[in-house]
Amino acid sequence: MATKQKLFMDACKKKFKEEPTDSSTKYYCFGGWKQSKSKVEFQKTAEAIAKKRGIPMLNEDIGVPLGQRSWMPYQLSHTDIYAEADDLHCVNNTAIQQAWDDIRRTVLVGLDSPHQTIERRLGKEVTPETITAYIETVNHTMPGGAVVQEHMAEINPALAYDSYVKVYSGDDELIDEIDPRFVIDINKLFPKDQAEQLKKAIGKTLMQAVRVPTIVGRIMDGATTSRHAAMQISMAFISSYKLAAGEAAIADFAYSAKHLSINMGTMMPARRARGPNEPGGIPFGFMADMAQSDRVHPDDPGRAALEAVALGAAVFDQVYLGGYMSGGVGFTQYATAAYTDNILEDYVYYAIDHIKSKYGGFCKLDPKDMDKLMKLGDEINSYALEMYERYPAIMEAHFGGSQRATVAAASTGIAGAMATGVADCGLNCWYLSMLQHKERTGRLGFYGYDLQDQCGSANSFAYRSDEGLPMEVRGPNYPNYAMNVGHLSGYTGIPKAAHVARGDAWTANPLVRVAFADPALVFDFANVTKEIGRGALREFQPAGERSAVIKG
Amino acid sequence: MAYKRQFYPGDSIPAKNRRRYMDPKVKLKKLRDVPMDDVVRIMGHRNPGEDYKSIHPPIEEGKEPECPIRKLVVPIEGAKHGDRVRYIQFTDSVYFAPISPYQRAWMYLSRYRGVDTGTLSGRQIIEVRERNLEIMAKEMIDNETFDPALTGIRGATVHGHACRLDENGLMFDGWQRYQWDAKKKEVVYVKDQVAIPLDRKISVGKPASQADLKKRTTIFRADGVDMREDKEVTMYGLRIHKLRTLGGYQPWAFKE
Repeated sequence: MATKQKLFMDACKKKFKEEPTDSSTKYYCFGGWKQSKSKVEFQKTAEAIAKKRGIPMLNEDIGVPLGQRSWMPYQLSHTDIYAEADDLHCVNNTAIQQAWDDIRRTVLVGLDSPHQTIERRLGKEVTPETITAYIETVNHTMPGGAVVQEHMAEINPALAYDSYVKVYSGDDELIDEIDPRFVIDINKLFPKDQAEQLKKAIGKTLMQAVRVPTIVGRIMDGATTSRHAAMQISMAFISSYKLAAGEAAIADFAYSAKHLSINMGTMMPARRARGPNEPGGIPFGFMADMAQSDRVHPDDPGRAALEAVALGAAVFDQVYLGGYMSGGVGFTQYATAAYTDNILEDYVYYAIDHIKSKYGGFCKLDPKDMDKLMKLGDEINSYALEMYERYPAIMEAHFGGSQRATVAAASTGIAGAMATGVADCGLNCWYLSMLQHKERTGRLGFYGYDLQDQCGSANSFAYRSDEGLPMEVRGPNYPNYAMNVGHLSGYTGIPKAAHVARGDAWTANPLVRVAFADPALVFDFANVTKEIGRGALREFQPAGERSAVIKG
Repeated sequence: MAYKRQFYPGDSIPAKNRRRYMDPKVKLKKLRDVPMDDVVRIMGHRNPGEDYKSIHPPIEEGKEPECPIRKLVVPIEGAKHGDRVRYIQFTDSVYFAPISPYQRAWMYLSRYRGVDTGTLSGRQIIEVRERNLEIMAKEMIDNETFDPALTGIRGATVHGHACRLDENGLMFDGWQRYQWDAKKKEVVYVKDQVAIPLDRKISVGKPASQADLKKRTTIFRADGVDMREDKEVTMYGLRIHKLRTLGGYQPWAFKE
């Protein structure tokens, strides 16, 4: 056991009066729900609403008596922000919503194909000037501006201020000639080595990062994003290149925008009751690419993995499974364990130190050496479980076994990924953690852990499409993962860990990676826990609000 | 060669206890005798003396379809009578409770017929025909797998297994279904499984000492017996993982 100061100590001291090592405390003496500021606020609000509408609603005295133990605040990991659990519920937290909004409203649409259509089929010239003129036009149409009909309703720009289109490419010369207001500048936003990797991978392709208005995604659905983008892109082409609205070539623009574009989420089966481009369809590698910590903090691979975990927890566990599986419960307590109180932080940084001191650093462990991989997994997992046993404060902070199972397995998985540089090795370590956890403590998580976590060792290296995939392209809809909350956060962190350890500039897709480096996004994907914390403090300003069209 | 049933590897105290609890030939020690009527009251499914509610006529009265499995399987008493399926659910503290949820599942399935168990991190539910359930429930409350302070009988609002213990050494319960009787130094139930107040307090006896619990527990812990101290248990876990990893869904095909 390491003797260093534990990273969770500050949170423990703020959460509980007792020493973190104390195994006894007092209960039933804290005044119930009234010890919680947010519960008091909720009760007062609900009473006023009930009076006004004549129908009772939330009543904190119904059901189990809340607040029988000390009401714990939660520290957003690697920040100084403390919040109440209520303020981390995805329905109460505008930052969490905006993280998902920004993902859902993004579609990447290449300009190479339409430029070929314009040049080869229509015989018109495409130059940096015409490209800039087009982008200026599409920045008018994308938020809902009209360009083709003279008598047309438009979207109030105050409702759609977050909608725009920017471009990026690996071709520095081309980018230099485009109005910089419309460019996501890889050279400026990424450290030099990452920028070089990204530009090489993207090549001369000119890609549009399209952001449809947040409010559109909220009113309609994720599948609408590419449709909205396709219509507005087509209109912008018609206007900027003076094309005929009815000519057959226009269909090519719409077709390529709808069907050759990159949605953030793949299609799920109908039984999931969601269209394409919904969170259940986002591959873990895409989500890892959206998390931008390693762009801003390139020397802190631990933070990179942890921020990816946080983003996965918020979007996959809270927004997606919190609704799809649990309805209004939101899985708040469950998912936030992975990004609060610096508990997973402590385990991950312990793992990094351990890999450096015992395994020669990142990517030095031979991925084929199963015995060494298991040894590492055993060491990190044992550390994580031991911390829960030595520090009753963190055991109580993670009072659900599913929280502990996720956090222990995430740290073990991240360790395996970093030590080998292979995400699938990390996933294998995740399952080792689960088996050992169950064996050691005689308990694990909820029923779901009996399914995937007991058979996961067997499919962790499977690449056949009905059994498995590389971890980078698995996602929440991978068969065993579709109904297992608490896992998807760690599953996002594992591929991220493998690729940051390798020094890669991206995890699964360089185009996604660059698109989410854009500082014009409402949510800052380089500071996930901080943003969620600002949401909890009610300081985050989301897009998509309707107040601009409401009197008073 | 006749197969000799094995239960669990290892020579540590938790490993031995796991074997003992699972092995149906081992008679578990009876540590208390809570009257059957009180067990029925704590479970709260029926009042003592009340008839069992049935969901179908006694099997002998019904016309069973022709079925070889039905001929093979002798119905348990509750099934014969058409009883409802009812439950008891135990929450087991992480602080050296005598048994933990997975070991409960293994024990139930090894010792009883006609049961359906569900295992979570803190709690373990067992569902079975009502008259059989009552017999089982009494055994489980009376025997060494139960500790009044560290084992909770909870139908709803079950968490608390990972919370610290209160000043009397009791596991947290949001409903306070049980209390500490300072005079008798015993734990008494004041509410049933789903927290409906009981007409009178029901004692489930005195909690065991930590030293005693450490001898009885199935839980490996760093401040007790660390799992890694038991080489065979550790090896067994790693071997399962390795075989599944390298052999996929055909672990037997992998040759070490």
